[in-house]
Amino acid sequence: MKPSTFLIACLMLLAPNPGAGQDKVDHSGHSSHQMSVDPAGVVMNENHNALPRDCSEISGDYALTINVGRKFASDVPGMIFGMSEHEIRVQPCSRIKITVVNEDRVRHQWMVHGLPKYLYPAGMFHVEASGGHSKTGTFIVPGDDRTYLIHCDMAQHMEKGMRGQLVVGKGSGKLWGVAGISDEFYRHSYLPPRALLMAVLVFIIAFLTSLWISIKW
Amino acid sequence: MSRRKLFIAALLLALLSYPPQWYPMPIRLKLTEWIGAAGFRALPSSVEATAAEAEVFCPPDPVGWRDRQSIEDVEIEASASCVADNPFAVAAVVRGTNNVNQATLLKSGLTADAVEKGRDLDGDGDPDEIHIRLEVAELNGGSAVVPGPVTQYEIAPGIRPGLWVFAPKFVGMAVENFESNQARRSLRLPSPAIRVEQGDKVRITLENSHYMPHTLHLHGADHGFVNVSGEGNDGVPITSETPVMPGGARTYELSPRHAGTMFYHCHVQPHVHVMMGLQGLFVIEENRPDNWLQTMNIGAGLVRAPSRSTREDFDREYDLHYLDLDKELSERIQRHNDPRLITRSMHREYDITDSAVDYFTLNGRSFPYTFRESLLVGKDDERIKLRVVNGGAKGIALHTHGHKFSVTHRDGVELPEISQTPQDVLWLATSQRADLALELVNDGLHAYGPGIWLFHDHQYKGITNDGIGPGGNISAIVYSQYLDETGWPQTRGVPWDQYFTEAYYRKEIPVWEHYAPGLFSDTGFDWLMMLRVLGLALACGIAAAAAVGALFGRGRSRS
Repeated sequence: MKPSTFLIACLMLLAPNPGAGQDKVDHSGHSSHQMSVDPAGVVMNENHNALPRDCSEISGDYALTINVGRKFASDVPGMIFGMSEHEIRVQPCSRIKITVVNEDRVRHQWMVHGLPKYLYPAGMFHVEASGGHSKTGTFIVPGDDRTYLIHCDMAQHMEKGMRGQLVVGKGSGKLWGVAGISDEFYRHSYLPPRALLMAVLVFIIAFLTSLWISIKW
Repeated sequence: MSRRKLFIAALLLALLSYPPQWYPMPIRLKLTEWIGAAGFRALPSSVEATAAEAEVFCPPDPVGWRDRQSIEDVEIEASASCVADNPFAVAAVVRGTNNVNQATLLKSGLTADAVEKGRDLDGDGDPDEIHIRLEVAELNGGSAVVPGPVTQYEIAPGIRPGLWVFAPKFVGMAVENFESNQARRSLRLPSPAIRVEQGDKVRITLENSHYMPHTLHLHGADHGFVNVSGEGNDGVPITSETPVMPGGARTYELSPRHAGTMFYHCHVQPHVHVMMGLQGLFVIEENRPDNWLQTMNIGAGLVRAPSRSTREDFDREYDLHYLDLDKELSERIQRHNDPRLITRSMHREYDITDSAVDYFTLNGRSFPYTFRESLLVGKDDERIKLRVVNGGAKGIALHTHGHKFSVTHRDGVELPEISQTPQDVLWLATSQRADLALELVNDGLHAYGPGIWLFHDHQYKGITNDGIGPGGNISAIVYSQYLDETGWPQTRGVPWDQYFTEAYYRKEIPVWEHYAPGLFSDTGFDWLMMLRVLGLALACGIAAAAAVGALFGRGRSRS
């Protein structure tokens, strides 16, 4: 495993599954995922009934609607795409019926990573809604307290705002870079070069003043 | 010690450590006269080059994508090179993604509306209503959470410039799998070559999935300034229409009356957006009966389901898209994540008038990756059609070894027969297109016989990867008897292992190391020389301090 891959795994998942990184899934036509495709979009690895190993029964049902698109980032500085909810909190072993309403004219996705691989190929549950369409899918979360990454895997959509977290139970700590929830890991300073000059000036004044004081006293 | 003694000691040390090869010439000559040459001291030994493991030259094709096959009654020609296009995607764009069965569509990876084909308007047996959808994707972009580029795409070993492409509409993720961060196989440079038939009613919807505004401009293809609804149709923000904003879409319309090899590109801040990769070949084929076209050639290269008119005159057809890249521009999307900072950096701080290009791609790859997928493979006596566009910022001097080709069309217009004389260097200005006829006829003029014959830009920048050769747009005309069964050419020259390492293109490996080890290696370190230089520096420092002290510190001096 390359160091960068390791970092990605740590930063994104925080509590990586055993065996994360071993899985190779080909999305170019030889997929092992269970897919259902129609003009409104795609649901991948849907799960209505299969229980995670650490659950004896489904603890409860949630029906959530997430609106996605440009307009959900229009008031967030530096973001282009967004979701109506960037954080979702559910009870362990619960069943979640998620409806993704796409208010843009381009595709968007709502995917969860790090789920148990014996239930979800590549540990992934995925709803894709075509532009102007909505799409519904159902999945069941395991019984442990964990925070899962939610994102859109269109190129750059996660980076430009479509990044969220699914907190099961107490969760396992906040993920980095979730709009409205947590800070960016590589946060730009947003200081113009002149600000650096100011710092140099302050250093020089501090140095000279201290020197003068130390000589004088 | 007194300051004077210290000064003298420092001067002595300086004299002793001063390297003799730096003495002034008259002194050296005088010394030689007196005592002859200095004794032998061996030159530093050669340094062993860092061992770097080569990548697999030719990735295997376990699912048989290279084979000749028939899918949905579409005859798909064999693709002899190592890396072939997905034949299911070829079949889907020939029949229309709305007309193929679910299994073919799933294997193509495309959405059902990626390339929709409708009615046959002229009753000649092929569809004439074509609706193409294009997205905009960023490759090797930045991130605020992970180090290194995301949605990675390598043009050559370890080289990942930031890129923007028009992309076919695929289902699902942009990456092969979540952990690898590699762009899915078909999400790549160049933007797909598009093929429509003369007279088709073509609609192209630009679905702007990118975070910046974009448009589509149909360069050289017959289209109205406005569409049927009276909206701007030329893609030019300053004259035609407001660009498509992130998350938005716009449909461009055309019904081209003239056939030929044309071009399409974004026209928003074109000096930046076109050079980031938002450009593709746009081919208008002559109208023929039962002419089912491969509406998109993803990654350009071999056309696996060529048109009727091409089949009339040629045995095979290749699309060749040349593009150069300036790393000063392409790295800007990797430096920041905030679109405001990226926009400022790319459109105001970057100055193309001060720029120089660094990478030179053919069909989205540079050497050695060009040999995986952009070889011109042919058989004796075949006639091959090449459609070439130079999308780069500088001109290219396209040269073929072992062959003279004829230019049959320029910018989509046929040349008179008398002008179609064989030549072996073709100058292509920026955005210019040429159709070439390459004849593998061993007559001493058109071809000199079977072999592995390079073709490349003869402007020498173009055969390097950021100044390291071999690289750039080097590829080859390969006669099929020179290919092994995996599609790799049986070259007879030097081994290629070091060309398939990142270290070589990071300039860490001497260029001839793999076949003349040690002879032209990096040189070792001369410790004695280092000692002399350090001694000199020490002596000068002490001497200077003593001298300055003598000037200013007289009162406090004590012996």
